[in-house]
Amino acid sequence: MPKILIADDSETITTLLTTALESNGYEVSVASDGHQAYQLGIDSEHDLAILDQLMPGLLGIEVIEKWREEGIETPVIILTGVDDERTAVESLDRGAVDYVRKPFRLPELLARIRQRI
Amino acid sequence: MTWARVLEWLGYGVLVYFIAMQAYILGLNLISTWALRRDHHLNRFGRVTEMLSSRTTPPVSIVIPAYNEVVGIVDSVRSMSLLKYPRIEIVIANDGSTDGTLEALIDAFKLEKVSIPYRAEVATAPVRAIYRGRGAVDITVIDKENGGRADALNAGLNAARYPYVLCTDADVIFEGDALMRAMTRVVEDRERTVAVGGNIRPINGSPVDLGHLVKAEVPKKLIPRMQMLEYLRTFLAARPAWSAMNALPLVSGAFGIWKRSAAIEVGGFTPGHMGEDMDMTMRLHRHHLKNRIPYRIVYEPTAVVWTEVPETVRVLRRQRIRWHRGLIQAVREFLPMTFNPRYKVVGMLTWAANVLFEFIAPIIEFAGWFIIPLAWFLGVLNVEAFVWLLLLAFGMGLLNTLNALLLDESYGYFDTKTDTARLLVMALIENFGFRQLTVWWRIRAMLGGAAVKSWGNMERRGFVRSVSPPQAPPASSASRP
Amino acid sequence: MSLIEPIQFATLVVLVLNALGVAALIILKAINRSRRRRAEARKRSHMRLISRHVAFEHSTDPVPAKAATDPAFIDALIDVRNALAGSDLEKLERLVARHGVVDELVSDLRRSFPKVKRLRAAMALAELADDEAVPVLLEHLDDREPEIRVQAARGLGRMKWTPAIDAIVARFGMETPWVRARFADTLIGFGSAATWPLVAYVTVNHRHETAGPVAAIRTLAAIGDDEAVKPLIEVLHAGADPEVAIAVIEALGHLENPMAAPVLRSATRDADWRIRAKAVTALGLLADTESLEDLAAALHDPEWWVRRNAAAALGVIPGGLDRLYEALTGRDHPASEAAIEALVDIGELAAARARIEEGNGRTRDHDLISVAEAGR
Repeated sequence: MPKILIADDSETITTLLTTALESNGYEVSVASDGHQAYQLGIDSEHDLAILDQLMPGLLGIEVIEKWREEGIETPVIILTGVDDERTAVESLDRGAVDYVRKPFRLPELLARIRQRI
Repeated sequence: MTWARVLEWLGYGVLVYFIAMQAYILGLNLISTWALRRDHHLNRFGRVTEMLSSRTTPPVSIVIPAYNEVVGIVDSVRSMSLLKYPRIEIVIANDGSTDGTLEALIDAFKLEKVSIPYRAEVATAPVRAIYRGRGAVDITVIDKENGGRADALNAGLNAARYPYVLCTDADVIFEGDALMRAMTRVVEDRERTVAVGGNIRPINGSPVDLGHLVKAEVPKKLIPRMQMLEYLRTFLAARPAWSAMNALPLVSGAFGIWKRSAAIEVGGFTPGHMGEDMDMTMRLHRHHLKNRIPYRIVYEPTAVVWTEVPETVRVLRRQRIRWHRGLIQAVREFLPMTFNPRYKVVGMLTWAANVLFEFIAPIIEFAGWFIIPLAWFLGVLNVEAFVWLLLLAFGMGLLNTLNALLLDESYGYFDTKTDTARLLVMALIENFGFRQLTVWWRIRAMLGGAAVKSWGNMERRGFVRSVSPPQAPPASSASRP
Repeated sequence: MSLIEPIQFATLVVLVLNALGVAALIILKAINRSRRRRAEARKRSHMRLISRHVAFEHSTDPVPAKAATDPAFIDALIDVRNALAGSDLEKLERLVARHGVVDELVSDLRRSFPKVKRLRAAMALAELADDEAVPVLLEHLDDREPEIRVQAARGLGRMKWTPAIDAIVARFGMETPWVRARFADTLIGFGSAATWPLVAYVTVNHRHETAGPVAAIRTLAAIGDDEAVKPLIEVLHAGADPEVAIAVIEALGHLENPMAAPVLRSATRDADWRIRAKAVTALGLLADTESLEDLAAALHDPEWWVRRNAAAALGVIPGGLDRLYEALTGRDHPASEAAIEALVDIGELAAARARIEEGNGRTRDHDLISVAEAGR
């Protein structure tokens, strides 16, 4: 079963995503801030990570950077806010494979995930 | 007129004084409770989110006076640039730091020196250079010669580009929505609002992670814990009342939003003043009341910032003496406003109370340390009455503290039984030692003289921590003789 | 001493109150703690429930009967709604409709009290943005509670219910500043549908009111519809109050329509310095190359703000750079000051330094650097 890491400081989003992903047959681990996300990524291998950009602790982009330093190549989708155009594009430069704007459409997100795994 | 009679009348005098003071505090408590309840439901309903996405939300310049802040200034500026607010700029006034503060800033934010004309609407110590950086947030650093905190604030005022200025310190930690919540009060009434004060809480002992508070905890050490109570009493049980009457005598330097044009109109902050925040607030009151200009100065209890309070007796002493000297300067300056009906509620009530109960009270209490034993020794003291009076004073002070703690409940900071216990025990014991110390320090401050001169240097280095802390709470600190 | 009895009495009263206070504190903390935990748990379970309904096409998860009256359920609904977009919202709407959530909220709002519940209901209706709520929201645009008025307008805005625009604009003049600002936000959300109602309001009222028309003009600027340009110019010609005139000039700048250039150009010579200052800024936003003369002239204005804004405007209009360099080395010191500030702000100083380093420095780059270093 493919394993996905979700990190967002909003419990709404993590619950939504966890429910949606689990119902589609993925195994999910959840973090609520940047540090936790980074740690989870180190502790076990994931097939994909969905990270919120603005999290307490480390930003989404920073988590990617630190993972890459440790040689962790998990593909990452960044979740960005509506006004965050610059960060969205920047995140692609910094190692994310895709970005999704909030508010998002579940079917679309699921499709993008299926593409990566 | 025998000595006995004199002492007896003195006793009655103290009694009347005491009753007036407690009545005032009680009144403040009741009004604060009413004001907080009235506004509570408003705060639950997302006014903040609306302002965040609104294009009518006014931009704010954050002004930070910095003297030898190399340790935390970069992190502080970074976390301020992440504040939830549509448009801000950060203006740092480097007050002749000698520890590399300027270099650290230039380095971290890639600042460029720009010798642009600096429009000194308020005179300050000479400005050496101005630096600008463009990133997520516009940052301007004014490098100037040392002139003290007020002087640095004035330089910041001069360089600020936006109509509202948030004056704060480099070591203050903001809640993400603090600025937004305070500005809500401005947007409510842009015409009249000239200043908004925020709620300051001691952060000592609470875990902090990368500039964010993780969990609020009651300080473990006694000295900060005592101050926790003081701050709760003023910020929850006094300021809401003052604000409701438009008679707030102090907008704290650690978090104060000022309408730039108004601040400049009254001449900026007073350089060298030990309590430049109280001075500015009172000057705004005076200016607007004297010239009959409609205005209001308000306090927003949900605009919360955290700051470290002195942990040792030594540092606390310095702080309290400095505060009291500031109060003395202010009392001298604004004496004509006391009990002057032209100055409405401020003059007749809150400033008058400040003079009577903050300024004069320590003298009376201190005198009491001598008069009471003397009277007892002479056999003219009515010991029974005295003891009951003391008990009454203690009880009323405790009531004041309890009310503040109850009001704090709705904010949900302290959850556990240990927290409650710690605070309650502190409320009981603070009258046995701490209180006497603060009174003595105030007397020291008044005695001035040699002490005053040697403080000259201290003031310059004095930004280290809690530079412009909230003024000492009003006579809402427990017992009176 | 006859005073001792009242003192004793007062002391006892105070001590009793203290005891009650301590008890109240302990009890309150315990109650709050458990209430908070239970609410969180409820919200979490509601969240999971709603998520499953959204994630599964035909979820049969039972929704508790009392859900519609449970604030925690409504909160969860709102949170989920704000996180989603597109077709997921429809699923949510079906969930809402099936369980009579809107009906509950509507009846809550229609009650006369308690205020808190009404407020919550108004906000929830605004957040859920369900069409069923339109009538009740329209009714409450003039509710006695300012926050309810705000939420009513907001809800209608989120639903893009354009017939509400007239009702909202009609209230502009009589509203408190806070409510008016929020109404303005709602109108901006409506976009160009709000243009003509606002224009009508300004045209009719600008001569005898200031606050309302000024807010309306600012709203028009934010909406950005060109249709507003001509009417606003008319307002200027009709001899507006200075506050209104300033707002119009600012708005014309934001609307970036060249039609406004002539009237703005003549405004750069107005007697009121504030109008001159705003006019030059507006011309900068229009990027109107025909205004270069007027802007260059404004560099020599007696008022600092006018000079500064004119310089900033020249910095962004094609061809303006030359005028700035002219003023830089000219004899008029204040004009030179204004020019250098603008040149620095747009990055010319850094660019000049870079060019010199690469060996491509032009005369005027050197001029710029030397003026900058001469400094204050």
